[in-house]
Amino acid sequence: MADHKIEAGHYIPTAIPTEARRIASGESVSQCLALKAGMNVPAMDFQLMEGASLDLTILAYPGFSGNLLIRVFLCGRNADANLRGAWIGRGSDKLKLDVEMHHVVGSCTSEQDFRGVLDNEAASYFDGRIVVAPDAAATKALQQNHNILLSESSRAETRPQLEIYTDDVECSHGATVGALDANELFYMRSRGIPEADAKALQLRSFLHPVLAGLDEEAREEFLSVL
Amino acid sequence: MSDILLEIHDLHAGIADREILKGIDLVIRKGEIHAVMGPNGAGKSTLSAVLAGKPDYKVTSGSIIFNGKDLLAMTPEERSWAGVFLSFQYPVEIPGVTITNFMKAAVNARRKAQGLEDMKPAEFLKLMKEKMAFVKMRGEFARRDVNSGFSGGEKKRNEIFQMAMLDPILSILDETDSGLDVDALRIVADGVNALHNDEKASIVITHYQRLLDYIVPDIVHVLKDGKIVHTAGRELVAQIEDTGYDVF
Repeated sequence: MADHKIEAGHYIPTAIPTEARRIASGESVSQCLALKAGMNVPAMDFQLMEGASLDLTILAYPGFSGNLLIRVFLCGRNADANLRGAWIGRGSDKLKLDVEMHHVVGSCTSEQDFRGVLDNEAASYFDGRIVVAPDAAATKALQQNHNILLSESSRAETRPQLEIYTDDVECSHGATVGALDANELFYMRSRGIPEADAKALQLRSFLHPVLAGLDEEAREEFLSVL
Repeated sequence: MSDILLEIHDLHAGIADREILKGIDLVIRKGEIHAVMGPNGAGKSTLSAVLAGKPDYKVTSGSIIFNGKDLLAMTPEERSWAGVFLSFQYPVEIPGVTITNFMKAAVNARRKAQGLEDMKPAEFLKLMKEKMAFVKMRGEFARRDVNSGFSGGEKKRNEIFQMAMLDPILSILDETDSGLDVDALRIVADGVNALHNDEKASIVITHYQRLLDYIVPDIVHVLKDGKIVHTAGRELVAQIEDTGYDVF
């Protein structure tokens, strides 16, 4: 007789890279990485132990092109990872971002919010995996990737993936690719704000969830390129 | 010099291939408050959108002269600089942009268009404070994001606040009464009345009599199926309340 027992999928644990930065129990790490033209960025791997927290923001300026890989392993209970990113692509900028969020043990939280603004021929590819291991009960994982295209030839691809091997999870993800809202633009222009300035305000509003937590200097420097 | 502020002549306009306004004629003089009433779908909001220059709407024929200038040749921001203000039926939420920064952008853009320097920060803050008091908004209002998480009443008060900041010559209030309780309605109406004077004019667009109990119009128009089918004095408001729009 065939075995009809439902198995917990085919979970294959991902090996934690040996060079991963280990965030010790109870430790908090907060980083903001500004990516500019010509920069090479190594893989960003993190291993979080019990109660550890990671707050990572990446800001990709126009002119930056490259492949980014962020891998986070939540290996101790009550660890918390917060990943945010904003990019403004112009010209022929190409940004590829791979994010892996591994909930190896339970009772951890992760949040991701990545937002891109693409103009001219710029392109971005977002590949976001959330993997929740069979033993990782009481996991909370959120993932957002939103993109605004400012030109006909710009493009954004987004591939959010959830791999969940347990029932007791709260996971959600949202992904959009769209244009600036015409009604919003008209509202601002009707108050006398010129079209170009109004668009910059709209983009500021769009990027706000990513940038709100940064200090004002870093935020305004990034927004000044809009 | 003529006291005519706005002259709409045989205006035809619509969206995509659908004609919504089918020949509007309207003359508004300085000092007048006009009410435009009508059933849903009559074209009331289209009229306000066309006056403010909403890009989705196409004017197929006719003309609008505002203060001696061809309004239809102007962008929405140019119309604002010239003194046109539209209070939106559904004000837009702009999280991440504070009311202070939003108004600073609006006020200074107009000053730039007039060849003036940016307003000095102290002067700007004083103006903000004065106009916030005008619509009974507390100090923390200035730091809030534009309409983000506002109640319906707060959004409409924010519209009147912005109107006070920009001090327009022609104010168009598109269904400003919708979603307002009596207290908010009174604050909004008091604001509009206080901003009015002999050099200005207002167009109050509404489905109901309610707002017109507080903002008393000089002239009332009934808009139906894209045309003004009846024009009379303020006594028309009570008549519409009795008979509805079917008799026109």
